[in-house]
Amino acid sequence: MHEWSLALSVIQTVDKWAREHNVEVRKISLSVPIVSQLDISILREAFDMLKKESRLEKAELEVKVRTPRYRCRACGYMFGHEEVASQIEALVGKYGEEYPLHLVPELLPAFVKCPKCGSHDIEADLSIQVEQIETV
Amino acid sequence: MRPLLERARDNLRDKEVVAVMSGKGGVGKSTVATLLAFLHKDTALIDLDIFGMSIPRLFGVVGRLHEVEKEGIKPFEIGGVKLFSLGGIVGDRYVVLPGANEGGVVEALLAFADLDGVKRVVIDMPPGMGEALLALERVAKFKPVLVSTPSKMSIKVVGHLADYLSERGVKPPLFVLNMAYVECGGVKVYPFGRGEEARQLAERLGSTIVELPIDPDFENYVGKIHEYRGPIYRELQKVRL
Repeated sequence: MHEWSLALSVIQTVDKWAREHNVEVRKISLSVPIVSQLDISILREAFDMLKKESRLEKAELEVKVRTPRYRCRACGYMFGHEEVASQIEALVGKYGEEYPLHLVPELLPAFVKCPKCGSHDIEADLSIQVEQIETV
Repeated sequence: MRPLLERARDNLRDKEVVAVMSGKGGVGKSTVATLLAFLHKDTALIDLDIFGMSIPRLFGVVGRLHEVEKEGIKPFEIGGVKLFSLGGIVGDRYVVLPGANEGGVVEALLAFADLDGVKRVVIDMPPGMGEALLALERVAKFKPVLVSTPSKMSIKVVGHLADYLSERGVKPPLFVLNMAYVECGGVKVYPFGRGEEARQLAERLGSTIVELPIDPDFENYVGKIHEYRGPIYRELQKVRL
């Protein structure tokens, strides 16, 4: 269900921007971190439903799922998502569909430990961003 | 473009935002924030003290998780107040975070909290002057309520917070001197001193000061604070905010 509130956030933000610049939006590139495990088909469905009567009415949504590199600030170890995927899967199993990183990806260091030293002091770009907007 | 930052701004626009702050922890900020939230109708209480999360404990909702619907995160509705807490996302678990992530968490909570029908938002801030304060400044104009005990140390550090806010052009309308006295046989006893420095600070800031008592019965309401209407609440009721 969180996909709907995220889609609404994106539409409201971009619609406001488009009105300020008096343009119609043709395409949006949205970048999301893999840890949020968003259901892209639901996100698209929500986007298409909610964009009506906005400056995004004819806009296409492109979603880029980022797989960031993580860096442990305690020991300096750099690692990829595959090394912590099992920790995240365990989290989904424990909390269910609306698990914390689905709602707030920035919470990753609270739940994921460095595979080498066990520290929670993990650095990564976990934000959700509109990277590009194409206008008419 | 960061949609959550924009959405958080939109979510709080046209709402009165009261941020309950202190220079240090342990001064009773969460209690003050909670009781202030009960003073008006159509109020939401947002717990941004993401490392302390006392508020779920005060309301007896520890471990309960928020429901999420199309409009966003649904509040717990208790005693007429709409309550949002990170505790409702992570459950009863510690949260350790690098500072840079804290701002993103604050923005997400303020963006996705479903504030439909809410006119006033009371925010329980974490102690000190870190990322949560900067994130709140990015998102909304707010009325700070400063909380201190009569301890000189606590007043000194809340003074730094007040100086910072003054520099930013923000005036605290209310200064709460918490745990100021205890009533004993009809006599007020001041176990931590009279808090003269706090009065001087409040005067310098042009803030109304309210002294709140220590109520030994308050502990009995931890977990059901919505039922508490004792002397701490009654003193806050006298305040116009």
